[in-house]
Amino acid sequence: MSSAIEIRDVHYRAGKAFEIRDLALNVPTGSMYGFLGPNGSGKTTTIRLLLGLLRPRQGIITVLGGSIPREAPRVLARTGYVPELPHLYPSLTVAEALHFHAAFYPTWDWKWADELVLQFQLDRGGLLSRLSKGEMGKLEMLLALAQRPELLVLDEPTDGLDPVVRRDVLTAVLDYVSQQNATVFISSHLVHELERICDWVGVMDRGRLVAELPMHSFKNGIKRLRVLNAPALAGDTPFVVLSRDAANGSAETWVVRGWQPPMSQWFTGVGATLKEVIDLDLEEGFVELLRTFRVPQA
Amino acid sequence: MFRAILYTQWKWSRFPLLLGVLAGFALPLLSVQRVSSVTGYWQTRTMLASVQAWGILYPILGASLALLVGALAWAADHRGRHVYALSLPVPRWHYALLRFGAGVVLLAAPVMAVWIGGILATATVTIPTGLHAYPTMLAARFALAVFVTYALFFAISAGTVRMAGYVLGALATVLVVEVITNAAGAHVSLLENLLLALVVWPGPLDVLTGRWMLIDV
Repeated sequence: MSSAIEIRDVHYRAGKAFEIRDLALNVPTGSMYGFLGPNGSGKTTTIRLLLGLLRPRQGIITVLGGSIPREAPRVLARTGYVPELPHLYPSLTVAEALHFHAAFYPTWDWKWADELVLQFQLDRGGLLSRLSKGEMGKLEMLLALAQRPELLVLDEPTDGLDPVVRRDVLTAVLDYVSQQNATVFISSHLVHELERICDWVGVMDRGRLVAELPMHSFKNGIKRLRVLNAPALAGDTPFVVLSRDAANGSAETWVVRGWQPPMSQWFTGVGATLKEVIDLDLEEGFVELLRTFRVPQA
Repeated sequence: MFRAILYTQWKWSRFPLLLGVLAGFALPLLSVQRVSSVTGYWQTRTMLASVQAWGILYPILGASLALLVGALAWAADHRGRHVYALSLPVPRWHYALLRFGAGVVLLAAPVMAVWIGGILATATVTIPTGLHAYPTMLAARFALAVFVTYALFFAISAGTVRMAGYVLGALATVLVVEVITNAAGAHVSLLENLLLALVVWPGPLDVLTGRWMLIDV
């Protein structure tokens, strides 16, 4: 399986307060990779590193086969980027912004750009400084898509947008991916949004990658278990115990990762009874994952 | 690509540039306007005095335009913290060169205005014997002054806020050292020497000093 993005042992420090340590990340070609993490976890910094906007202190970053930052211009010509905050020149009109952007991308598709202008109901003569947040979000997405990129890097593209605009923007991305088999790297703290569209997920917290796995493993592997007569020490379990909470009487609630149904026999072996296995949605799994990650550091 | 950059820079700096073109065209004409009513010996004296007095405005105009166009070339990128510029698929040096080149092209307009204004001004007055018109030399000097100061301001305004802080900090340090050494009885003129280093040859701003004469002996 080839990788659209490969990051190895990257270290970056921004001042004294924040650093990214030992970051290793792998985005398979053609995948939709959801990059999850709470605010301030390092998602935007990671994106800026992989686009060559920031330079790491050490480590190797390869995007679309090109070494970053050395080959950044060549890679950026094949990459559509939607930043966290609008970054376009506010004194330009929509039409001027399109012409400016198109001048830098040899693969720019005017026909499709025109279609997207109509689809997103953007006023070509409207000044960017007067666009609403939703219109600006749609324009940023339009610019990223109309250059026909092999890789789309979206940094919280729907943050702060209303549900209608959010649906428009995500639909445009999904349409594009279905046509082009492009790779999408999308960061968000809106877990439900990624749950529906991504097939891989990476979780970032406090400058470190906490987990990276296929979405189905993430969704199916994290369970809440109700256990009777649980042993005081879990010992050598075939799954990862993320948390244990004592409930009423002899019952306990466990949150585990890497769960598979045959593992229920382990409880019989230690004299406990597994009463119930509850599916956790992605958000609950995400919260439990972060909680476990943070415990040793608290 | 260059056209796109040129268009944005035109849009950001078109008002000061248009004013600069008008002023550049009008300056030579205004500098000889008073002379037509005077004749004889006094015509020569009046012409030289008038041309010299108005001549002060050429370096002021050139430096002002260079400052504005240089600063406006980067203002939008500074506002967006350079994220857009850095995410474009061009090397950073190439992008800076495109922005610099666009400014040079735009500043050619006021230079041309000074040249055309100078030719018209010298063609509309009778130049006394012994004096000569130098509209092309004046425009060439104006061009040199504009482009040198533009390069300087472009480089300064390309710097980050942190860099501006370092420059201001260095200036403040020089000032403090000068005050302390003067208080201690040693007469050191660090600021004056710094200024002289800038405006006296081979300082880069030497090009703005001296006499700016459209008509001279």
